[in-house]
Amino acid sequence: MKSKFQESLSHRILPGGGFSGLPKGEFRVDATAWGILFLRAVGESSEFLELGRARLRTEQSDDGRVAVSRHHPDSYWPTPLAILAWQDSPASTDAQRRAVQFLLGVAGTHPPRKADDPVGHNTALKGWPWIAGTHSWVEPTALCLMALRAAGQGQHERVNEAFHMLLDRQLPHGGWNVGNTLVFGRELHPNPEATGAALAALAGATTRERVSQSIEYLQDEIDRLRTPVSLGWALWGLGSWNLWPSNGVALVERCLANQTRYGAYDTSVLCLLFLGALAGEVAEPIALPIPSNSGRSSPGGVH
Amino acid sequence: MSKSLSEKKDWTITRRDVLLAAAAGVAIGVSSWVIPKRYFRIPMQAPVFVAKVPRYQREIGDAITRGITELGVAGNEVRGKRILLKPNLVETNASAPHINTHPLVLRGAIEAFLQLGASTVMVAEGPGHRRDTLAVYEESGLADVLTEDHIRFHDVNYITGYELPNAGRQSSMRTLTFPSLFKEVDWIVSVAKMKTHHWAGVTLSMKNLFGVMPGLYYGWPKNVLHHAGIENSILDINATLKPHFAIVDGIIGMEGDGPIMGSPKQVGVLVMGRNFPAVDATCCRIMGIDPYKVSYLERADNWLGPIGDRSIEQRGETIASVQTNFELIGTIPAQQGIRLG
Repeated sequence: MKSKFQESLSHRILPGGGFSGLPKGEFRVDATAWGILFLRAVGESSEFLELGRARLRTEQSDDGRVAVSRHHPDSYWPTPLAILAWQDSPASTDAQRRAVQFLLGVAGTHPPRKADDPVGHNTALKGWPWIAGTHSWVEPTALCLMALRAAGQGQHERVNEAFHMLLDRQLPHGGWNVGNTLVFGRELHPNPEATGAALAALAGATTRERVSQSIEYLQDEIDRLRTPVSLGWALWGLGSWNLWPSNGVALVERCLANQTRYGAYDTSVLCLLFLGALAGEVAEPIALPIPSNSGRSSPGGVH
Repeated sequence: MSKSLSEKKDWTITRRDVLLAAAAGVAIGVSSWVIPKRYFRIPMQAPVFVAKVPRYQREIGDAITRGITELGVAGNEVRGKRILLKPNLVETNASAPHINTHPLVLRGAIEAFLQLGASTVMVAEGPGHRRDTLAVYEESGLADVLTEDHIRFHDVNYITGYELPNAGRQSSMRTLTFPSLFKEVDWIVSVAKMKTHHWAGVTLSMKNLFGVMPGLYYGWPKNVLHHAGIENSILDINATLKPHFAIVDGIIGMEGDGPIMGSPKQVGVLVMGRNFPAVDATCCRIMGIDPYKVSYLERADNWLGPIGDRSIEQRGETIASVQTNFELIGTIPAQQGIRLG
């Protein structure tokens, strides 16, 4: 299976470093960061990795952010991905430090909760937004938590608050969605990708009891997942809690085969799917920014 | 000399004249404040077509073709053109298929535009509630239909964008970023769902265009647009993008706590037109909602299009023959006091 991913992604590696979103496409920041995580996980040579990391460094702004493009500085959601991509790279130490400082200094908008607020969550709790000047949402917060923990900021007060924020956004009956729990008194629906991302970020930071309903939701959903974002995050989330499913490999194979139906997957989601697959493998805990307390006992994994 | 004296007399302003002019000015000022602005403009006009379609069936394409034709769309406007259909795909729930535009309505629109000579028809969407667009595409049933019909689907959330100056200027957004795919098409068709909405009152062809804004720049949900003001953003997107045609799936709509938690509502109609405010105002009347009480439609009136019943020429079925009140929830501010009549 690893070779299938390598074959697919080899057509997106750009000569000057970095990845495109699709074969023969143009450089994209998030695709490059995810691609570096993939290359690192498969043990690609450091020279090759450094080319990509260097390309990513050219995209960093003076204040440390790494945005979708320099023309859209508000879209700084790739910053945690860049932090993860620069992990353990001596040449990227300063870039990573500045990106970490940027994340610790920004939070988006968090109005105090009103008595008659139509939304159910605690709007004052800070995580991270997708885009500057907006509210904190689940997936960017999960990514920032994983990046900041990997970069040694696991004890920072912002990290601690973001853990609380994620738990506050957990739906009463389990699971997460983009980040709304109740609106006008109605509990909204969970989805697998947000649930997987939140579980991956919370592993090692909370008890299993606090997230047991979410784990059950994901375990109930996993067999029907056919698309890479949902399946990638679901596998990553369950793997983080030593619950990578016994049929995980078959699910990944089926998802890869669905490219005949949907067209070639975007680089970012293909890498996410691979990392989700790798979350079931015992031997490579360092390849993933998963908290170190997550042992691996499930069968399957990447072959 | 006498003439000049006469002229002088004609132009002499008396104290009475000043008082009358002042009174008239006050009257005009007060009336423009009290009487809605729509009465001071030359009304725009637009036709809207309503088709009765009792259920999701194969003949939907015929109804849409008839609508396009009866709305006066000339053959050369579609022939050889590239048509982009933008459905309303939000999220999926096995017990709530009425959240999303039904796939057979998309199939009907595809058939209609191809039959009218379009060179290409494609479907594009960028859901705001799900990062996994393909999951919504698959679970809504649309993937089965488009795969069978060999129609391409584009996830616009990840398509890099091009900027246009904000032509609406209702929000503080100076520019809007649309997916670059839009530069490669001739027609943008909103294929929306007839639903009540807990923030905007209703979501129809205009609100549906939130989904064209790439998540890359607007996030999941499209929170940049929420912060800019939902109503402001609806108006800005429509004023800037200038979409070409609207089809609203009202065969089974959603009432109550839309756009995702509401109940199914059987209406049995498709509503079509070139002018989006006119189409949405007609939908409102069908839903038993006063379009003048839906804030963004009232603001769009006679600017982006007409919403007054006398300014909309109803073709096909009459509103009265299909009208059915959608449930409104009294505790939701956007749905308070918007009932027609």
